[in-house]
Amino acid sequence: MHIPDGFLSMRVCLVMGAISAPSVTYAARKAQTELQESRVPLLGAMGAFVFAAQMVNFPVGVGTTGHLVGGALLAFTLGPAASIVIMTAILAVQALVFQDGGVLALGANVFNMALAGVLAGYLPYYFFGHSSRKKVAIFLGAALSVLTSGTLALTELIISGVQVPQKALYVPLGLFSVNAILEGAITVAVIRSLEAFNPCWLKKPTPRVGSVVTVLIAASVILAAGGFLVASTYPDTLERFIERLSFTQGKGNQWVAPLAGYNAHFLRDAWLQKVAAGLVGLAILYVLCVVIGKLALKRRRG
Amino acid sequence: MHHVVLERWSRGASFFHARDPRAKILVALVFLVSVATTPMISPWPAVCYGFVLMAAGLIARLPLTAMAVRSAVVLPFSAIFAIMTFLAGNGAKAAELVQKSYFSALIVLLLLATTPLTDLLRGLESVGVPAFLLTVIQFLYRYLFVVSEQAQHMRLAAGSRGSFLASPRRARHWLRAAGGALAVLFARSYLRAEGIHRAMLARGFRGRFPAFHQPRFRVSDGIFSVLGIALLISLRWILQGSA
Repeated sequence: MHIPDGFLSMRVCLVMGAISAPSVTYAARKAQTELQESRVPLLGAMGAFVFAAQMVNFPVGVGTTGHLVGGALLAFTLGPAASIVIMTAILAVQALVFQDGGVLALGANVFNMALAGVLAGYLPYYFFGHSSRKKVAIFLGAALSVLTSGTLALTELIISGVQVPQKALYVPLGLFSVNAILEGAITVAVIRSLEAFNPCWLKKPTPRVGSVVTVLIAASVILAAGGFLVASTYPDTLERFIERLSFTQGKGNQWVAPLAGYNAHFLRDAWLQKVAAGLVGLAILYVLCVVIGKLALKRRRG
Repeated sequence: MHHVVLERWSRGASFFHARDPRAKILVALVFLVSVATTPMISPWPAVCYGFVLMAAGLIARLPLTAMAVRSAVVLPFSAIFAIMTFLAGNGAKAAELVQKSYFSALIVLLLLATTPLTDLLRGLESVGVPAFLLTVIQFLYRYLFVVSEQAQHMRLAAGSRGSFLASPRRARHWLRAAGGALAVLFARSYLRAEGIHRAMLARGFRGRFPAFHQPRFRVSDGIFSVLGIALLISLRWILQGSA
C-alpha cells in the first residue's frame, strides 16, 4: 500500500522521515560492507526482479487484485540490510517515475515496507528457518511482513486525519490478511523452486529455536502493529492508559525539564509524545523478541 | 511502454529543463509542502494551483493533456480513502484528499518531466543522500525494463503452452507454477547481474558511475529558486487568508 502525497499530515511525514533516513543510511553502509567489494549491480538487478514480480497481479476477492510485495523474499535470499536498501530503491523509483506513492510520504512508505516489512519478515526465518519446519517460518515471515506494513500504513493514515468508519475498518484489515496469506504461499513456492536451482542463494539462518517461541514472537509483532492501530482509532483509551502510567503527566515532564528552553514546547507536545511512545514501544518489542529468541537459543545449545 | 515518454519529455529544451536539478528539487519540495498544508475548502486553492501548474507545463513545453492523464494513476487509491472519509461523514476532507494527491502527483511529474533521472539522482547525491543507495537506484532503473520485458516474454511463453487453462481454483498447481516462474526470473536476474558486473569491471568500473558533465549551480538557478519559492509562499499565504 503506497501512500500518496496529500494524505499524511506534515508531522507524520517529518517524524517518519526522521526515522527512515538514518536507518536506511545505516543499512546502506552495512550492506556495502557485507557484500564483496562492489556488488551493486546485483542489488539493482534484484530490485528490478521484485519490480517485475510486483507487476504480476492475482485476483483477491471481487474486483481487487493483489501482488507480491517481495520484501520477505529478498530478506531470505540477500539478508535484511541489502533488502532494506533494495526496497528503498524500489519505493523511490515508484514514487518518482511511476507516481506510485508520494515523495513527501516516502519516509513513511520506506518505514512501512522497507524497514518494518523486511525486519518483521526476517524475524521468524532467522530464528526458525533452520529446522524441518522451515516452510512454516518462510510462510509466517512473508505473511507477517505484509500484515505489519499494511497495518502501519493504515495507522499513519488514521493519525493524519483520514477518517475510516470503525465498521469499515474490517475491509482493509481483511484485504491485508488475504494478501498476507497469498504472499506467504507464493514466497514458499518461490523459495522451494530456488532451493532446487541453487541452495547457495538462500541466506543461511543461524540458530534454531522452538516453535512456541517463534509463534510468540510472531504474535507479539502482530500485537505491536495492531496495538498501534487500535491506539490511534480509540485515542481516549490510550490517553487514559498513558495517564495511569503517568507517562506524560509525571515522568515525561520531569524528563523534559532539563531541556526547557528552545524546544521544550516541541517535546511537551502531547501528540509527539504519544507517537514517540508508540514508536519506542515498537522498537522495544522488537529488541525484546530478538533477546528472547537468543536466550531460548542459548538454553537449547547449553 | 510509458516510461519512454518520460525519457523523451525530460530531454526537451526549455527554461525549466536548463535549470540545475538541485534548484528544481528545492522548488518542487516547497511546492509539495505548500499544497499539503493548504486548507482546500473553497475551490480557490484548486484553481490557483491548477493555474500555476498549467503555466509551468506551458513554459516547459510539455503536453498538458498527457500529463494530466498520467497523474491520474493516483486517483484509484485516493478515491478509496476519500469514499471512506465521505462515509464517515466528512465530505470536505474527502474532496481535499483527492485534490491534494492529484496536485502532488502533477508536481512530481513536472519535476521528472524536466529532469532526466540520472541528473536528478546526481543532484540528490550532492544534497547528502548516500551514494550507495543512489547507485542501486540507477542500476534498478537500468535493469527494470530488461527484466520486466523478460517477465512478459515468459508469460507469453507460458500462455502458448496453455497456462491460461489452469484455473486459479486448482490453487496448488497454480501456486507451484507461479512460484517456479518467479524463481526462474530470480535466477536469470541474478546471473545477468553477475555477468554485467564482470563486464563492467573489465571496462574499468570502480563502484560508481562517472559523470560526463558536472551540473553547475549558476546565478540563474539561484534567481529561479528564490523567485519560485517567493511566488509559492506568497500564494500559500494569500490562500490561507481566503480560507
